[in-house]
Amino acid sequence: MKSVVIAGYARSPFAFAHKGELAKVRPDDLLARVVAALVERTGVNPQDIEDVIVGCAFPEGEQGLNVARTVSFLAKLPASAAATTVNRYCGSSMQAIHMAAGAIAMGAGDAIVCGGIESMSRIPMMGFNPMPHPGLKLSYPEAYSSMGITAENVARRYELTREQQEAMAVASHAKAAAAQEAGRLRDEIVAIETPNGVVERDGCIRPGTTAEGLSGLKPAFLADGSVTAATSSPLTDGASAVLVTSEEYAKANGLPILARIRSIAVAGCAPEVMGLGPIPAAQKALARAGLSIKDIGVVELNEAFAAQALACIRDLGVDEATLNLDGGAIALGHPLGATGARITGKAAALLKREGKQFALASQCIGGGQGIATILEAV
Amino acid sequence: MDIKRAAVIGSGVMGSGIAAHIANAGIPVVLLDIVPKSGDDRSAIAKGALEKLKKADPAAFMHPKNARLVTPGNLEDDLHLLAECDWIVEAIIEDIGLKAALYQRIDPVRKPGSVVSSNTSTIPLNMLTEGQSETFKADFLITHFFNPPRYMRLLELVTSEKTRPEAAEAIAAFCDRSLGKGVVRCKDTPGFIANRIGVTWIQAAVNEAINLGLTVEEADAVAGRPMGIPKTGIFGLMDLVGIDLMPHIAKSLLSTLPDGDFYRGIYREHAVIKQMIADGYIGRKGKGGFYRVNKAGGKRVKEAIDLQTGQFRTSDRVKLESVTTAGKDLRALAEFPDRTGAYARKVLAQTLAYAASLVPEIADSIVAVDEAMRLGYNWKFGPFELIDKLGTTWFAELCRSEGLTVPALVAQADGRSFYRVEGGKLQYLTTGGIYDDVVRPEGVLLLADVKRAAGGKPVWKNGSAALWDIGDGVLCFEFTSKMNALDEGTMAAYQKAMGLIGDGKGQWKALVIHNEADNFSVGANLGLAMFAVNIALWPQIEQLVEMGQQTYRALKYAPFPVVSAPSGMALGGGCEILLHSDHVQAHAETYMGLVEVGVGLLPGWGGCTEMLARAAANPRRPAGPMPPVAQAFETISLAKVGKSAAEGKELMYLKASDGITMNRDRLLADAKAKALELAQDYTPPEKTTYTLPGPTGLVALEMFVEGFALQGKATPHDLVVSRHVAAVLTGGDTDHTQTVGEDHLLELERKGFMALIRTPASMDRIEHMLTTGKPLRN
Repeated sequence: MKSVVIAGYARSPFAFAHKGELAKVRPDDLLARVVAALVERTGVNPQDIEDVIVGCAFPEGEQGLNVARTVSFLAKLPASAAATTVNRYCGSSMQAIHMAAGAIAMGAGDAIVCGGIESMSRIPMMGFNPMPHPGLKLSYPEAYSSMGITAENVARRYELTREQQEAMAVASHAKAAAAQEAGRLRDEIVAIETPNGVVERDGCIRPGTTAEGLSGLKPAFLADGSVTAATSSPLTDGASAVLVTSEEYAKANGLPILARIRSIAVAGCAPEVMGLGPIPAAQKALARAGLSIKDIGVVELNEAFAAQALACIRDLGVDEATLNLDGGAIALGHPLGATGARITGKAAALLKREGKQFALASQCIGGGQGIATILEAV
Repeated sequence: MDIKRAAVIGSGVMGSGIAAHIANAGIPVVLLDIVPKSGDDRSAIAKGALEKLKKADPAAFMHPKNARLVTPGNLEDDLHLLAECDWIVEAIIEDIGLKAALYQRIDPVRKPGSVVSSNTSTIPLNMLTEGQSETFKADFLITHFFNPPRYMRLLELVTSEKTRPEAAEAIAAFCDRSLGKGVVRCKDTPGFIANRIGVTWIQAAVNEAINLGLTVEEADAVAGRPMGIPKTGIFGLMDLVGIDLMPHIAKSLLSTLPDGDFYRGIYREHAVIKQMIADGYIGRKGKGGFYRVNKAGGKRVKEAIDLQTGQFRTSDRVKLESVTTAGKDLRALAEFPDRTGAYARKVLAQTLAYAASLVPEIADSIVAVDEAMRLGYNWKFGPFELIDKLGTTWFAELCRSEGLTVPALVAQADGRSFYRVEGGKLQYLTTGGIYDDVVRPEGVLLLADVKRAAGGKPVWKNGSAALWDIGDGVLCFEFTSKMNALDEGTMAAYQKAMGLIGDGKGQWKALVIHNEADNFSVGANLGLAMFAVNIALWPQIEQLVEMGQQTYRALKYAPFPVVSAPSGMALGGGCEILLHSDHVQAHAETYMGLVEVGVGLLPGWGGCTEMLARAAANPRRPAGPMPPVAQAFETISLAKVGKSAAEGKELMYLKASDGITMNRDRLLADAKAKALELAQDYTPPEKTTYTLPGPTGLVALEMFVEGFALQGKATPHDLVVSRHVAAVLTGGDTDHTQTVGEDHLLELERKGFMALIRTPASMDRIEHMLTTGKPLRN
């Protein structure tokens, strides 16, 4: 099998849905801008692109049809590059990378663009026409657990206090704000033109967030619960993209290799505690790589909620010094379909920047799943 | 001249409120104030005022988007903006020097022919224009608004002999038609009409309460509702407007009133009030006034000031024998032989005698004075109407016994009433001592006048409604039940109206549903419903629901146009009739809502069905079966009420094509004109069919509500009620590949309604609403 590498990563700024600066931008336009920039920055020959795989959690409306194909046209990729859209909710664009890796490994192409997109301003969570199965709702209501309640369930099961969750949110904002301030986010961000001007900075980060400031918020999902808006990732607009190639193609064409994909895994778990999904997924991926968590120098763990992230950190034994070095989704935002490519691309970039050997990117998925990728330095 | 763009200078409470209301009329308005002494933003003061306006409660804007019509600026950099304005309103502080200096700056930049007006409440016009150019004088007048400008209907308009008549006409017409004001022409005298009389009334009422040893509750119980004055009475009113304002208003009046004016004689600074102001008890905007809510000890206790000691004590709910015995007989109240009767006597004598002595000094006729007090102080009756209630002879005697001069007008009346109805027309006693017709402005049609002309005899009536001939073949349907509550009689009256109008080709062409009560209708008679439930009259209840559905449907598909003209609250069943009308001509201050869930029920007279049809027809909605359902569900399950006709449109209670009339007095005429327009070649609407999601949609909506319940935002019974609402709106046992008709949905409404009304928790909600007027959150 061929060795597969990540040869480029770019994303749009992430902004609050509705009130943020990207609310007026169509999601297909947003991702097309990012894909075009990725192709330009990596220098990959567009004619060599086998496929464009785009993850999206609610692929309808402006991010409906086969949005990957729309994006390819908008990004002016050659018609010869195929395109497909994939949905694994929040894991969608990491799934896109996994599909690309699988295809390249078995010789079905050398260069694949993997993207992710979600405009939570323009396409509501649950979509415009939520039509759940009445029978399933009756026989297995957990299948339709609301995300906030799953976070409460995890908080209760792991006896995570509100203060612990808030401490994580404070740390996430502090890390993100420091990275933003030091310009460490600048390289990955693609400036986006909007009707109200060019946007080139993330909009969700709140520098100076303090535990005291968060302590006054009301619980967001359960009247007597511990999860608040501040310890949840915000509704976000954003897009991200990663260039996945065979190692030999990257080397032959002088592409900037960030990391090699060492192993991948997905796993299911109970839907009412979907936030625990990264635990079995990461454990599988580690086992497949023949590694232990102690070998991992960079961890990108999606912070859908502080509660689920803390539970995963505890069970996986993640060293917090390796965790989300430039901040996580609580501070940066979580545009569902776009997050997987962001954290995988980010983990690859951090691996290089920090000079570490192995990285883990993992996230939880609504409905009860986890997805994980292990990367190694080349 | 049309007013297409306006400016307000001075962004205080009045200036900004006027600017907001001009924006409510859809007119762009520049709001200017001075440059602040510090800070970077030179327009910070006007911008701050605009931000405050957006948050004002009650709302200054009829729709949040109206705020975009207000452009804030400052008087140094933005004066040139005045060059585009047709009307410039000055509302800066009451300082004649500052005003004069401002006019000097405005005059060179304003466009020729533009009108400048001052919102002064105290400075005479001729003093304001002294030293200004002749063209300025010709273009200048006083427009005195009342606070808050959106809600208070009075506009006092003062001109000088130099004012161009066309300028005054243009502003009067704009304030009347576009701002909805009752424009009252006043003479250029101190305090004009309303404040001159109002301030004297307050002073007399405070003096006498203290003299006679009445508590504030007793005083307000007498000088409130029994006199047709808002229930706040005197002391509650002062709490509302701000007790600290009183000395300022008094001072300015005293500085300009003629020597020997009655007010000078009764003016007193009471120690107890001075102390209250010094202690910060300035009314509701402060920590309390004559009344306060004491939250010490975790409880909320209503307290009132003891006028003798100045100390707060627990407020008593008073029930006065005088008030109970007198009922609606004002004279009986004033004759009641105790201190509360004496209080009524003295307050009425002083206030009304003063008012009667001021005509023609302050206005040409008694009609203007009565109108000003009704619209500016929310009195139900003006001073002369009150004197009529007492009788002019009796009142003259009262004046004598109180040691007051009998006003010349009262003496001249010589036992005759100030108003009379002659030949079906309302007439008033002129200063010349003869009766003349009360003439309404062109385009004003009042149902009260129609009734007078008909000698009080409607075309038809029962205990719930009356039908009036408003001319040109248009029949007006008026609710006449208590609180305009809807019942079986209302439905019977609709049936009668439809029978009379027939195919619309005979004597009658169209129906207008309208009344002149404070509220159009707050819905079905809940008391009757509860009574029926208590004795388990289930078939009768269901029959009434079905009868309502059939009647509303029949009106919708009748072969003649039905135009509704609401004002005030139109809730529940009162909202549903509007949903079934061909056209609604709504007064701008119409508050519509399907609020049934508040009493544990659902809209059962076609409200759910009509809201679905509107949401489905909304061109801006995303495709698919759920969006219209979700939209109707949100509106109904949250009992959303539009706080203006504009908001009613946003919530789709009103259609985009429905009309809005700013001036309530013009509402019926506008509705009638629309009815006649529709009557030409009228064809009834087509029946609507619905594509609904069925059980899957129900589950989706349930999931939303369950989320709310977990958050603590929905109560256990909210879950039950909204499940029934959702069951109707999702179409029951259907599927989005099928269509269903209105009959199917109406049946679901009926079933849902009947299921809910049989629920004890819903009955608890109804009972709570009937006894407290507030929704129960169970």
